[in-house]
Amino acid sequence: MLRHITLATAALALSALPLLAQDLAAPEGDVILTVSGQIATTNVDDTAQFDLEMLEDLDATTFETSTIWSEGTQTFQGVSLKVLADRLGIDGATLRATAINDYAVDIPLTDAVEGGPIIAYKMDDATMSVRDKGPLWIVYPYDSDAAYRSEVIYSRSIWQLDRIEALD
Amino acid sequence: MLSSNVTRDLKLLNSASSDNVQWTLSQAEVEFLEFQMHLTESTAEPVPDLKSLRREFDIFYSRISTLGQASIYASLRDLPEFSRNLRIVQTFLNRSISAIDASDPDLILALPDLLERTNAVRPNVRKLANSGLNFFALDSDHRRNSISVTLTQLAAGVTFLMLVLVFLAAYLGRLNAQNVKRRAEAIEAGARMNIVTDTALDAVIVSDAQGRILVFNAAAEQMFGHKAEDAIGSDLGQLIVPDHHLAAHEAGMRRVRTGGARNVVGKGRVKLEAKRANGDIFPVEFAIQAASTDEGEIFIAFLRDISQRVQSERELVVARDRALAGEKAKTDFLATMSHEIRTPLNGLLGNLTLLRDTRLSAKQARYIKNMDTSGKLLMSHISDVLDITKYDAGKLRLRPVVMNFSDLLQDIIDNQSGAALANDTTLEWGWTGARTDWIRADRDRIQHVLMNVIGNAVKFTRNGRVSVDTEVANDPSVGPILQITVNDTGIGMDANLQAQIFDDFMTGDSSYDRDVGGTGLGLGIAQRFVKALGGTITVESEKGRGSTFAIHLPIEPVAPPTDVQDQRATQANVRPSDILLVEDNEINRVVAREMLLSAGHKVTEAHNGQIAVDMAQAHRFDLILMDISMPVLDGRGATRAIRAGTGASASTPIVALTANAMADEQEAFLSDGMNDILTKPLSREGLMRVIANQVVSGKETPGAAGEGAGAVAFAYLDDLRDTLGVDALANLLARYAAEVAEVIAYLQDHANHSTEEIAQRAHRIAGSSAALGAVDLRAALIAVETAAKSGDTAQMVQAIDRLPDVWAATQPQMSAERRGSTREA
Repeated sequence: MLRHITLATAALALSALPLLAQDLAAPEGDVILTVSGQIATTNVDDTAQFDLEMLEDLDATTFETSTIWSEGTQTFQGVSLKVLADRLGIDGATLRATAINDYAVDIPLTDAVEGGPIIAYKMDDATMSVRDKGPLWIVYPYDSDAAYRSEVIYSRSIWQLDRIEALD
Repeated sequence: MLSSNVTRDLKLLNSASSDNVQWTLSQAEVEFLEFQMHLTESTAEPVPDLKSLRREFDIFYSRISTLGQASIYASLRDLPEFSRNLRIVQTFLNRSISAIDASDPDLILALPDLLERTNAVRPNVRKLANSGLNFFALDSDHRRNSISVTLTQLAAGVTFLMLVLVFLAAYLGRLNAQNVKRRAEAIEAGARMNIVTDTALDAVIVSDAQGRILVFNAAAEQMFGHKAEDAIGSDLGQLIVPDHHLAAHEAGMRRVRTGGARNVVGKGRVKLEAKRANGDIFPVEFAIQAASTDEGEIFIAFLRDISQRVQSERELVVARDRALAGEKAKTDFLATMSHEIRTPLNGLLGNLTLLRDTRLSAKQARYIKNMDTSGKLLMSHISDVLDITKYDAGKLRLRPVVMNFSDLLQDIIDNQSGAALANDTTLEWGWTGARTDWIRADRDRIQHVLMNVIGNAVKFTRNGRVSVDTEVANDPSVGPILQITVNDTGIGMDANLQAQIFDDFMTGDSSYDRDVGGTGLGLGIAQRFVKALGGTITVESEKGRGSTFAIHLPIEPVAPPTDVQDQRATQANVRPSDILLVEDNEINRVVAREMLLSAGHKVTEAHNGQIAVDMAQAHRFDLILMDISMPVLDGRGATRAIRAGTGASASTPIVALTANAMADEQEAFLSDGMNDILTKPLSREGLMRVIANQVVSGKETPGAAGEGAGAVAFAYLDDLRDTLGVDALANLLARYAAEVAEVIAYLQDHANHSTEEIAQRAHRIAGSSAALGAVDLRAALIAVETAAKSGDTAQMVQAIDRLPDVWAATQPQMSAERRGSTREA
């Protein structure tokens, strides 16, 4: 009996994956983020590619915080790393985030929690250009938790982000 | 402080290891170089990759704007070198923006110019990176120094901590050593305590609150007969408490356990009984103290076997009781003896008195006189011994009365003047300074003392002079002191005799014994009385020259009684009285009756107190003489009944007749309502004196006794006759008559004599007159003396002129022979 339930659950899980994959439409505008690696949901080849509109369609998170790279406080809006990981069914321990200039940093997936970092696409209600660390910037809510004001977290706050690879 | 420094430095070290600031600076140069390279390539190619070029520019722009804005580079921006180059690079970027943001054809056209400016700004980018590097080198040096200081501080702190730890370790070591020492001491003290306990003479038993024995020392083993090993652990009560105390013991232990009252614990010494192993019960004295220990409260008992002591105490008590009983028996014996000897003696002497009044041959009279003398001597011996016993037993009570001291002394002088005359000795007395006649004092005791001292002086003086000088001196601390000095020119005493003169049973020179006799108690008693009166008696003497006795008595002077009738009446003016004689003893009654009848009184007899009360109810007597010990109703009860009733004799004077001379009882008699006390055996003198004292207050005048009756007090003559015999008295009277005649003649020739001489002669013959009972003549002579002394010549002459008449009335009565008429009653 137990075995039957387990098998049924496994079957359901397997059958659900294609449904989810199909959910992610192909990007229509400029691709600003490409997620590759150990992910369950893809739209182009083995990757999940997003334009700005697709990111904005995902559940947005907004918070206000100061950063060490700017003066005063700013309001950041974006997709929380957790939402993105859930959406794509990321199956790995680490996200390797890479910037346009090939700066790369490893972010453990354990950072992807509620109230945690977001992939910001708007600062003070405006999209960010490359000159303003855009178009995407991984921002932690530094002001909400002292643990987010460490050198390690600062180094993970990658800007001009354009790629994420999910690693084991 | 130190720890915060260390934490800060650790944080700094942590950030240094991931120094992205330096990385950012070099990254800025890398990104510039990428842009520059791309730009160089673009100018050379016909179709340049403008998109990439723009992105390179944007990345570099972003980097530079981060350097210009980020707060983490604020200190870097403070470097003039850095900020100057930063401004140059920012200016370059801002100028280039328009070209980069222009359309592709415009950008292609602007490329050469852009390249030229890019190349121009390159050294600045380089400097920007380098200046940052220099800063961080210095900064890291600074941080190293800071860390070094912090580490040094840390080292100092650690050193200090180490020192503290070393000190603490040393301190703990010392504490430990102390504890070890104390523990050793405690063990030693415990051992010592055990030795003390074991060698203690008292039994020491320690028990817990349940009564279980914890310690049982060697003395306890010996006392109770239990071995310590058997005793320890067993129940205290079962072991040593006697069965009849067991219930109380267990109740006490229960009380102690429940925190109730503690009757024994901590209450000092307690005496109880304990039980030995063989069941013997013996008395113990013990003390229990409680002490708190870890195992609960314990009780330490120290016990002492007091069998021996209790035995000794019991024996002592028995011995004491026996001694007290013996002492009481002695006193009782003396009191009884006094009574038992006095009563028959009373009878004997009374009957002798009566016998003497019968017709006797000269021989018989002499025998009777001898018997009377012996009897009186015996009586005085008994009285002496009794007085000493009373004084030594502390039972001598004073009976102060208001008295005229001058009268008392005069009486004594008068009494002794006969003896003095017989010894050819002049006896005189007088006051020095102001007279103090009326005092309140124990008349009888003073009389006894003076009688003794003056009597001795007269006894031991032949052909000499005995003078009694009285004076009142005021002692500020004790008040007036009566000083009586009795000075004689007699045989005197040597020093040895003086030293013993006041001792009991001391008699004088044997050559005088024949003449004076006595128990040798006289002065001993006198001294006791003087002491009882609060005074002193001393003697100064020289053998062959005479002696001086000085008596000092504190006195209480009083105002003379206003009622003249209170003054002592002389026996001469006693009227015949109606007297109730209450006496159960027949002999005594007969003696007293005969004496009273012979004195001319009417006598009614009663055999006991009840009869007396009945008689007193019905008839008014002038005087009641009341024996004390009587059947039916004793004298005290009868007196109280008479006084309490409203009978005819309710206010009649009552005089106690008693052989019981104890002072406290005498006081009781007076408080019963008796007026005076007459000690048995009755003497004619005592009886007459008491009657005179009590009855003279009657309404009638003394004249009733008959013509001439007042001129002579025959008692004195009788006494002298008894003492000297008829012949000697006749001689004495003859000499006296001659002397009186001579003096009268002398006085009548007063014009040729000084008043002083007149007073002296009158005084001397007045003394002799008193001794012989010639009271009227004495009074007349004293009137002469007083007038002469006061210098009132007219009065003196008048008094002298009366003398021949008085002498004429007196002389016929001064007969050596017994007066037949008055004694035939």
